Amino acid sequence: MESVFLAVALPFLAVVALPPLHRVLGDRVGYVGAAVAVASFGLVASRLGTTGSGAVAWVPSMDVALRLRVDAWALLFALLASGIGVLVFAYAARYMHGKPSLGRFYAALSAFMGSILGVAFASDLVALFLFWELTSVCSFVLIGYHTEDAESRYSARMAMIITVGGGLCLLVALLLLSVASGPALGARTFDLAAMLANEGTIRAMRAALSDSGLFVPVLVLVAVAAGAKSAQVPLHFWLPNAMVAPTPVSAFLHSATMVKVGVYVLGRVRPLFLGEAWTLLVATVGLATMTVGAVLAVTANDIKELLAYSTASHLGLMVAGFGFRTHYGAEAGVFHLFNHALFKAALFLVAGVVAHEVGTRRLDDLGGLYRDLPITAAIAGVTVLSMAGVPPFGGFYSKELLFKAAWETGLAEGGLYWLYPAVAVGASVFTVLYSLRFLSAFLGERPATVEDVARPPVALVAPPALLAALTLVTSVAPGLAIEAVVGDAAAVTAVEAVDVTAKIPTEPSGPALMSLAALVVGAAAYPSVDRVRNGIARFEAGSTLARPTNLYDWLLDEVEWASDRLDATVHGGPLRTHVTWVLATTCALVLLGFLSTGVAVPPTGPLAPTAMILVLAVAAVAAVAVAAAPSHVAGVLTLGILGFMVAVFYVLASGPDLALTQLVVETLLLVVFLLVIEELPAYYAELRVRVAARDAALSVLVGATAFVAVLVAAPDQGLSETAEWYVNNAVEEGGGTNVVNVVLTDFRAFDTLGEAAVILLAAASVLVLLAMRDRGETG
Amino acid sequence: MTTTIVRTTARVVVPIVLVVATSLFLGGHNAPGGGFIGGVLTVGAFVLVYVAYGLDYLEVGVLDREVDPGGGILEHRTVAAYRRLFTLGLGIALASGLAGMLFGKPFLYQHHDYVHVPVLGEYELASALVFDVGIYCVVVGGLLAILSVVGAE
Repeated sequence: MESVFLAVALPFLAVVALPPLHRVLGDRVGYVGAAVAVASFGLVASRLGTTGSGAVAWVPSMDVALRLRVDAWALLFALLASGIGVLVFAYAARYMHGKPSLGRFYAALSAFMGSILGVAFASDLVALFLFWELTSVCSFVLIGYHTEDAESRYSARMAMIITVGGGLCLLVALLLLSVASGPALGARTFDLAAMLANEGTIRAMRAALSDSGLFVPVLVLVAVAAGAKSAQVPLHFWLPNAMVAPTPVSAFLHSATMVKVGVYVLGRVRPLFLGEAWTLLVATVGLATMTVGAVLAVTANDIKELLAYSTASHLGLMVAGFGFRTHYGAEAGVFHLFNHALFKAALFLVAGVVAHEVGTRRLDDLGGLYRDLPITAAIAGVTVLSMAGVPPFGGFYSKELLFKAAWETGLAEGGLYWLYPAVAVGASVFTVLYSLRFLSAFLGERPATVEDVARPPVALVAPPALLAALTLVTSVAPGLAIEAVVGDAAAVTAVEAVDVTAKIPTEPSGPALMSLAALVVGAAAYPSVDRVRNGIARFEAGSTLARPTNLYDWLLDEVEWASDRLDATVHGGPLRTHVTWVLATTCALVLLGFLSTGVAVPPTGPLAPTAMILVLAVAAVAAVAVAAAPSHVAGVLTLGILGFMVAVFYVLASGPDLALTQLVVETLLLVVFLLVIEELPAYYAELRVRVAARDAALSVLVGATAFVAVLVAAPDQGLSETAEWYVNNAVEEGGGTNVVNVVLTDFRAFDTLGEAAVILLAAASVLVLLAMRDRGETG
Repeated sequence: MTTTIVRTTARVVVPIVLVVATSLFLGGHNAPGGGFIGGVLTVGAFVLVYVAYGLDYLEVGVLDREVDPGGGILEHRTVAAYRRLFTLGLGIALASGLAGMLFGKPFLYQHHDYVHVPVLGEYELASALVFDVGIYCVVVGGLLAILSVVGAE
C-alpha cells in the first residue's frame, strides 16, 4: 500500500518543488512534472490486479483517517489521471512555451493530479471530500490562468461556484452516510469501504437510511454533487465557459479527469443506491445531458467549445449508464469512461495543435487541413470515429452497452421507460452530426483564409498520437483493456455479475438497430447540418430555458446586491451601528441557545455580604453616571470609579489576581483616555431620543444576557470537578501554589498562547491601520 | 501634563512601580501576579514616563542616543523596538512550548524542579517561568506599541 500513498503524495511534493525549479530550468520544468506523473503512473500500475487498503490515523477520536483503498475502479481512474497527466505535462512544456507565471501553472496542475489520485483512492469520507474540493480549487486556479482577462476570471468563478456548491451537497450527503453507519454497522464510521464491503453491509446501510427517511435525500444530494462536478443538465453551463483555460488544462481537467470525478463517485456509490429512484433521477439526468450536450455541440463554432459540449454529452452517457439498474449500465459507464478519456484528451490536444499552427479555432474558417497536418488529421480521424461511436472503434462498444442497458430497461419496465432508448438514439444522431462537423476541419477544400500552416513540432503531436494509438488498440482488441482493468472495475460498480463484451453485432437485435439508426440518420442529416444549426439557434434565442448562464448571472447579481445591502446596513461606517449589530446578534444567539437547549436558571443562593452589596451599589451608581456624564472628562472619571469598584469586588470575592489585573488595566485605560481626550470634541453631540432608546434597550439586553449566562454557567456555590482537580494538582503537577497562574502557564498554556497572539494581532492591526492612513489609503 | 509635579512624582514612582512589577512577575507562580499582570504594570510605568517626559525621553535622556527627527511614528526607533519585543515574546513562548517536545513531551509541557542555593535556601525553578517571560514580553511590547503610536497622535 505504500506505493499508493506515495503515488498520491508525489504530485503534492512536486507542488512545492516546481515553482523554484521553474526559476532554474525555465520552460523545461514541464518535463519534471511529466516525470512525477510517470512515477505516479508506475506506482499505480504496479498495483494492477490487486486490492488492498491502508490508513494513516488523522483524528482517531472521531475515526477519521487518511484511508486509501485500492480496487479495480480506483485503479482505472487513477491510471487514466496519471497517464494522461504524463502526456499533458509533456505537451504543456512545449505548448506553454514562453507564457507567464508558469511556476504557478505547473504547481496547480500537479496539485490537481494529486487530488484526482486522492479522490480515486480515498475510502474515508472526510478525505474524499477534501480531495474532491481540492480538485475544484485547483481547477479554479487553472481556469483563471489569464488573471488579467475578465472573461477568464468570470469563467473561473463560475466553475468554482458551481462545483464547490455541488461539493457542499456532497459534504452533507457524506455526513448523513456517516450518521447512518451508526445503526447500520454498529459503530459510526467515515470508512466508505466498510459501508460498501459486502451485500450485508450495503443492505444494512440502505435499511438505516430508509428508516430515518434519508435514503432519497442522500441520493439526491450525491446526484446533485456529481451533476455539478460532471456538468450535468442543468448545471452543465460552466464546462464550455471553462474552455478559456489553456488547451492542456482543457484536455486534462475538462475532458479526462476532473469532470469525471462526479461520474467516478456515482459509480462508487452505485451499489448502495441502486433502485427505482436512482434510475429515475440519474438515468434521466444523464440522458438529458447527453441530448442537450450533443445538440449544443452541433451549434458550436469554436472547436474547443464543440469539444466541451461534446464532453458534457459523453459525461451524460456515463451517468445514464450508471443510472440503469441492469449490469449493462455499469459496464457502459466504466467502459465509456475509459474510452472517452482516450479519445477526448487526444481531441483537445488536436484542437490545441490546430489553434497553435493555424491560428484560429473557428470551424467556419477551417477545412482541408489533411494536406498540411496529415498526422494530426489521422489522429483526429481515429478519435473522432471513436467519439461518434462508429464500429469498430472503441467508443462504439461502450455506446452499444448503453443502448443495451436502455433497451433492457425498456423491455423490463415497459411504458414510459421506452423513452430512454428513444432519447439515447436521438442524442447519438446529434453526436454523429457534430463528430462529422469536427472532421470537416480536416477534409474538403481549404478556405482562402487559411494559409501558411506550419508543421507542428513533434512534442505537440506525440501525446495525442499516443492516445490515438491506444484508441486504435482498444478498437482492434477491446479484450485487452477489458481484461486488464475495465472488467474488474465494472464489477466494483455493479451488484450483479458483469461480463463486459465488446463485439460488433452480426444479427439484428434492438441495441444493434439503435446503433444503426443513429449512424444512418446522423450521416444522412449531415448535408443539411446548417439548417439544423439554424433551427437550434432560433430555439435557443427564443427561450431563456436554453441559456442557464443568464439565470446564473441574474442569481449572482441578486446575491451581490443583497450582500451589498446587508453590508451597508450592518457595517455602514459608524462604530455605533457595527457594535449594535454585533452585540444584538451575540445576545440573540446566546439566549436562543439557552432557550433551545432548555437550561433552567437555578435557584439563587444565599445573599451576598453587605460589603459586596455596598461596592456593587456604588458601581451601579457610577454606571448610571457614565451614561449621564455631560463631558468626556466626567465620563472617563466615572468609568474609572466603576472599574475600581469592580476591582474592589474581586478583592472581596477573594480573587487577588483578577483584582490586581483589573486595577492595573483600569489605571492604564484612564491614562489612555486622558491621552486621546484632547482630540475628541469637548461635548457630546445632540442626543436623539430614538437612538438613545435603542442604545438603552440594547444595554439592558446585553446586561440581562450576561446575567443569565453567569447564572446558568455557574449553577452551584461549590467548586466544579475541573476546578477541584486544578486546586489539588497545582503544586504537584505545575509546581506553583498560585492556581490561577499555574492554570495560565501550565495546565491551559495553549489558551494563554492564543491570548498572546490576540494581543499581537491587536497591536499589528493598530500599526497597519495607521500605516495605511499615512499612505492615504482608506480601505 | 508635563508639569513639575508630574515629573517629580514620576521620578519617585516609576522605579517603585518597576520593582513591584518585577516582583509580581517573578512571584507569580506562588502568589498573586504573573506575566500578564507584571507586563501591564510595567507598561503603566512606561506610560507614566511618556506622559511626564514625552516619547523621546527614553532615547535621549536615558540611553543618551540621538533621535532621528524624520519619518513618521511608525518608523520611530522606540516603536520598532516594541515591535521586536512582542515578536521576540511570542518566539520565546513558542520555543518554551516546543522545548518540551524535544524531550518527547506534549507541546507546552512544563517542568519544574527544586534547587538548593547555599545560604538562601530552597528555591524552585519552573520552566513555566520561561513561558511567562514570553507572555510578559508580548504584553509589554504589544501594549506599548499601541500606546506610543496612539499617544503620538
